[in-house]
Amino acid sequence: MATRTRFPADRGLTTRMLTTVFLLGLLYAVFVAVLVAVHVQIGLILVLALGILFVQYFFSDKIALYSMGGKLVTRQQQPVLYGVVDRLVALADMPHPQVAVAASDIPNAFATGRDQKHAVVCVTTGLLRRLDEPELEAVLAHELSHVAHRDVAVMTIASFLGILAGLMTRVFYFAGLFGEMGGGGRSRGGGNNNGGGQLVLIELGMVLVSAVIYAISFVLIRTLSRYRELAADRSGAILIGQPALLAQALVKVSGAISKIPTRDLRSAEHFNAFYFAPAIAPGASLSSLFATHPSLEKRLDQLAKLDAEMRQGAA
Amino acid sequence: MGFLDALLGRTKPVQANLDRLFGLPGAQITLEASEGLVPTREAGVCFKPSAGQAFDATEREISAMLADGEGASAVTAKLSEEADEFGYRWVVLRAADFDTLVTQVHFVNSTLQDHGFGPQLLCSVFGFVAASPPGSSTPGGPASTYLVYLYKRGSFYPFVPTGSERRDNETELRLKVVLGQDLTIEADLDRWFPLWRLPVH
Repeated sequence: MATRTRFPADRGLTTRMLTTVFLLGLLYAVFVAVLVAVHVQIGLILVLALGILFVQYFFSDKIALYSMGGKLVTRQQQPVLYGVVDRLVALADMPHPQVAVAASDIPNAFATGRDQKHAVVCVTTGLLRRLDEPELEAVLAHELSHVAHRDVAVMTIASFLGILAGLMTRVFYFAGLFGEMGGGGRSRGGGNNNGGGQLVLIELGMVLVSAVIYAISFVLIRTLSRYRELAADRSGAILIGQPALLAQALVKVSGAISKIPTRDLRSAEHFNAFYFAPAIAPGASLSSLFATHPSLEKRLDQLAKLDAEMRQGAA
Repeated sequence: MGFLDALLGRTKPVQANLDRLFGLPGAQITLEASEGLVPTREAGVCFKPSAGQAFDATEREISAMLADGEGASAVTAKLSEEADEFGYRWVVLRAADFDTLVTQVHFVNSTLQDHGFGPQLLCSVFGFVAASPPGSSTPGGPASTYLVYLYKRGSFYPFVPTGSERRDNETELRLKVVLGQDLTIEADLDRWFPLWRLPVH
């Protein structure tokens, strides 16, 4: 989508994204090489991983909607929301996605579905209450960019290795346990004890390798996810032509304002009896490594840069 | 709270700090000077009646007390006949000047508290409106900005409703900074609950 606009692509972002994908691929190759080297029967595990991938890929829209409690809405129920989506869809020249609303006070929006034809855009009631129409348009432009970039497909495929390695960690762990028991049985029957011990060692080694692979792919997938967010910010802002509007909406949904409730005090009475404090202080650097979304400052930085670029282009 | 209390699930009732209400006259001057907001001189005390005889008696007492108060100073007070949509009752007070209003709100709160109805008290709300330009009539119209006093927390927060179940968060956060010197502002933004369709104007 970004390639069709008159704005130059963000080369740095594209390069970083490609590097991450390359590293994921490299990791995959190394893992397969290790599997082949130790003569592991990976058929069953592969089938399992592919099965999970298949389900994620084809039912992503339903899974995401279900887990967020989103309900599909009709044009009559949400005329304003449909109006905004209609405008954006016409602007971006893409098929109309299904529109859903989740009853939650937390301002949030997400897009899901494996391709443009199966896309669902979902917003929470908290978002609808906090943002005005232009800001809502900016957020939905970001979400529709995810649809146009086919981010669900990209991320599902990218996470395949993670699923595979995670599964192998578990399978080998249990296989190790059972292998030990099996080895004991054999020794009583007069079999070779050494072979059993070696097998256990190899299996333990595989658990370790799988766990390491899983950890690395976990970090890489999250890195990729953050780049996809930045890419969606960028093309969403370009689509509506006003990066500042998206920045404004971002501040509203992730800054201090997102904490101010929209639910009536009298209906939240029980809340006044208790005091909830977060147990962990936010803002640790480790959390930024594992975060699926880039930090607010990073996103605002990018949008400010884009805004400046667009102003220069117009002048 | 002691460890044994925690173990046995005993909690102490929160001690309200009604004296913090007396920070309001100072806040009113700040609001007028920096935001051009003047009090509508109307306030509401919100509480949830509990079922039972005891409260009926207290209710009569409040009504009588409010009627007495009306004669003494230029205050009108009205106890809402019916519970609102959330099952809460309101004592809506109107006074000629803001200081009297604050004193009266304090009085209603402490009377209810003295009768053991502290746990039923939810909040007190004060209305503010943009000052009309000099020369025109007295500031009229419904309140545009509210200061909400959370009884249980002894803290205030601004509430600026805009239309149907929407609020102006930017203005509220600005008012937080403006009022920080005069009032104990509720630090936990999660607790800045809105109050839609207020009976206070």
